[in-house]
Amino acid sequence: MSMFGGLEVSASALTAERLRMDVVAENLANAQTTRGTDGQPYRRKEVVLQEQAGSFGASLSAAMGTNGGKNGGGVEVAAIVEDQTPFKQVYDPGHPDADANGYVAMPNVDTVTEMVDLIGAQRAYEANVTAMQAAKQMFSRTLDLLR
Amino acid sequence: MLFDTTQLALERAIEGAGKRHEALAANLANASTPGYQRVDVDFHTALASAVNRGEASSAALHSLSFEPARDASAGAVRADGSTVDVDAESAKLAANALEHQAAVQVAHARIGILKAAMGVGG
Repeated sequence: MSMFGGLEVSASALTAERLRMDVVAENLANAQTTRGTDGQPYRRKEVVLQEQAGSFGASLSAAMGTNGGKNGGGVEVAAIVEDQTPFKQVYDPGHPDADANGYVAMPNVDTVTEMVDLIGAQRAYEANVTAMQAAKQMFSRTLDLLR
Repeated sequence: MLFDTTQLALERAIEGAGKRHEALAANLANASTPGYQRVDVDFHTALASAVNRGEASSAALHSLSFEPARDASAGAVRADGSTVDVDAESAKLAANALEHQAAVQVAHARIGILKAAMGVGG
């Protein structure tokens, strides 16, 4: 039995949610970027989360047939993928990146979607901090049995 | 006998609540994971049946193990198929923490009684 399993699980979620917020910030910062690293307009990035595979300790105890081996699975980032929706075509003949017809391909970033994602990640972060605090209190109360 | 079945049951309840917290924390961690099925630890049922064994309850309590299980009854609450309702999980987490606290306090009080009887003072 892992003593601090609950804390580890919540900590993995804090890492994942923080990364989600970082990616949202990157998308927002590049909402008007017409020249990305590949010369193309910036493509919106998205985080894909997945349930964490068991820790080393859990795998070991599963192999030894002790304690079932099922640990409370945290969360991890599986991949950061690019959103393949088409770029927005904006008519702006004066823009240096405008094509022959005067249209500029702008990044497929929708500011409102990003803000909603940001709020979602923030709320999830807060919920996991609360779970972490509860775990901490439970441990310290159990330790109080020794006093 | 220094520690009776009640004390043992309290200890197992504290352990069960700890395991359940782990499961609920995992649910919150995976709230945004597509297709995630929530897990839970039903330590109440196992504990109650062990306590009601009469003479054999002490042995039954010793051999109890609490394992998280997938909650197949929970329906998807998000478009991505995740069955985690963050509000419901938070409420369960808070209730579980209180249950844990209650068990710890009763265990503490019982240890205090033992200490007083031994003349150490509570």
